[in-house]
Amino acid sequence: MGKTEMKRTVTSLSSMFPTEEAQKAAKRVEETLLDKQNEMNQLRGFIADNTSLINLVQKLPDELHHDIMVPFGKAAFLPGRLIHTNEFLVLLGESYYAERTAKQAAEILKRRGKSLESKVDSLKAVMQDLKAEASFFDSTASEAAEGLVEIREEYEDESSTQRESQSGRNKMVIDYFSEDEDYKSGETFSFLDPLEQDSPSFTEADNMVGASEDEEYARIMSRLEELEKEELAAESCGEDDEDQDNNPAESDGDDEEQTKAVFDRKKNKGYSSLDHDQRYSESRKPLQQSKGKDPMKEEMSNNYHHQDLINQLACTGLTVEPVTKGKMSHSGNMRQDTKMLNPSITASAPSEKKVKFAVEHSSRNEKSVQTSNSGFDGSKAFTGSIVEHTENMEKNLAGQSTTSSQLSGSQPWKPVSRFKMQRKYIQSSDRHFNSFKTCFFGPTQNPKNKSINDQLSPLSTPSNFPKSTSAKPQTLTLMPAL
Amino acid sequence: MSSSSTALRELQRDLENKANDLSKLQKDIAKNHQVKKKYTIQLGENELVLKELDLLNEDANVYKLIGPVLVKQDLAEANANVRKRIEYISAELKRLDASLQDLEEKQYSKREAILKVQQRIQSHQAGKAKA
Repeated sequence: MGKTEMKRTVTSLSSMFPTEEAQKAAKRVEETLLDKQNEMNQLRGFIADNTSLINLVQKLPDELHHDIMVPFGKAAFLPGRLIHTNEFLVLLGESYYAERTAKQAAEILKRRGKSLESKVDSLKAVMQDLKAEASFFDSTASEAAEGLVEIREEYEDESSTQRESQSGRNKMVIDYFSEDEDYKSGETFSFLDPLEQDSPSFTEADNMVGASEDEEYARIMSRLEELEKEELAAESCGEDDEDQDNNPAESDGDDEEQTKAVFDRKKNKGYSSLDHDQRYSESRKPLQQSKGKDPMKEEMSNNYHHQDLINQLACTGLTVEPVTKGKMSHSGNMRQDTKMLNPSITASAPSEKKVKFAVEHSSRNEKSVQTSNSGFDGSKAFTGSIVEHTENMEKNLAGQSTTSSQLSGSQPWKPVSRFKMQRKYIQSSDRHFNSFKTCFFGPTQNPKNKSINDQLSPLSTPSNFPKSTSAKPQTLTLMPAL
Repeated sequence: MSSSSTALRELQRDLENKANDLSKLQKDIAKNHQVKKKYTIQLGENELVLKELDLLNEDANVYKLIGPVLVKQDLAEANANVRKRIEYISAELKRLDASLQDLEEKQYSKREAILKVQQRIQSHQAGKAKA
């Protein structure tokens, strides 16, 4: 538990994915999308032709004969009469024809219509994928242009057994939180990223998300209890106690982090209005988590949460402009794809994302800055990327995102610290679900993101999961070393 | 100096040759892809025909368009023909797949070789610059 060794790497997104390259890729995807669109139009034309033909074939035998104009050459027509109105020679394909009655011919045509429709469906799916890909490329380009930075830290997996035991605890914690009014925006983050809780200071200092896992369940439990006791004691005293407790845990913790934490706190006060909404979202989410061990559910809740955050942020009109995209990191899938961009990632608020948190659960706790797609290693547990446009921006962001951890240091909110503790456990249990989406969504956020993420998330989990077993032991832990 | 420059020239020639080979391979691959696509479409069509033929009654009249004439065919015969055709196309597709894979492997190794040559050229140039 006491190990606080962590590796962090910070890379600017633009170095990995040059803006022009990303834009080029986006353009290419757009082109293929256009091609597919044409194909789709053609198919639709076929379907329309087919249905009109079916109508005609069904109508023809109504009369014994039809007076028609027979085309004669290119420009001429002759008056003629159509007889044998119930005899059709149907081209089956490959220059085979069959004699059929009107009814039988209509059946053949209907079968053809069905196959056409199935083609349209598959084409639609392909187009959706392409669209997601395109939006991802766009977002990557804009992120790179904005100087987004990705931070990766190593993360250690915990045994899944913890999860059950903790689910109950989570609920309690949640309730507690909902009642607590002081609870700040940062806490929402903690909910989103269970990993963060382990390393609260990291997030503050570096705007990075720390991930830690406990290898030994029993150990963790005992520690948790101790911490809780401490927290209780700390309640009367104020935060200072907590600070001491938590800080020692992070042996590596930088001094900077602490200072930042303080700073963040100050900022947090400004956000009080946000707190309510956030709290709601948080409370909701934990509940879901506790109930559903399903990675899917969790993801959903995460998304939900994000949106809440976004809305709140937009409403409050924060100075920070924390428009962020949630990036899903499908670590497994993404890695293997040679393509940099997978459709799976679909963050769409292109212009305004300043902070992007990409959390990955994976065996390793390395944080490295990467674009969500191509660079992702499944092994990287956790990634947070933050765009730092200006100092002010950064600070603000830090305050919002990392308050929970910061709070523990200097602030008197016991609930927060407790919550964190709890979260940690949860986290470990949750390792199944690899990709967390933790982001601020800007007001401009694309509604599609959500759905896409939902779809994608399940995919990502299986691939990542096996990797976790081989996780590196390096971990960050908040808990004080005993 | 002169010896190194000649070596460099040789390397560059080598690189050029390899690049040509690679582009040839890529052309082949593209052609193969096209053929494969064509066959796949034909296979789909034949399968459709077979399905429809299976749905026909025994006494249904089936014709085959040969040039400008419709030739009446036995249903069983048409059925067998289509089946044979499907078999042939599937075999062809398999063959194409194998050759495609082979070509892609070749392309990959060519690329590796080109990369190596490029690196060597670079190191040469770097050595030159130092000297």
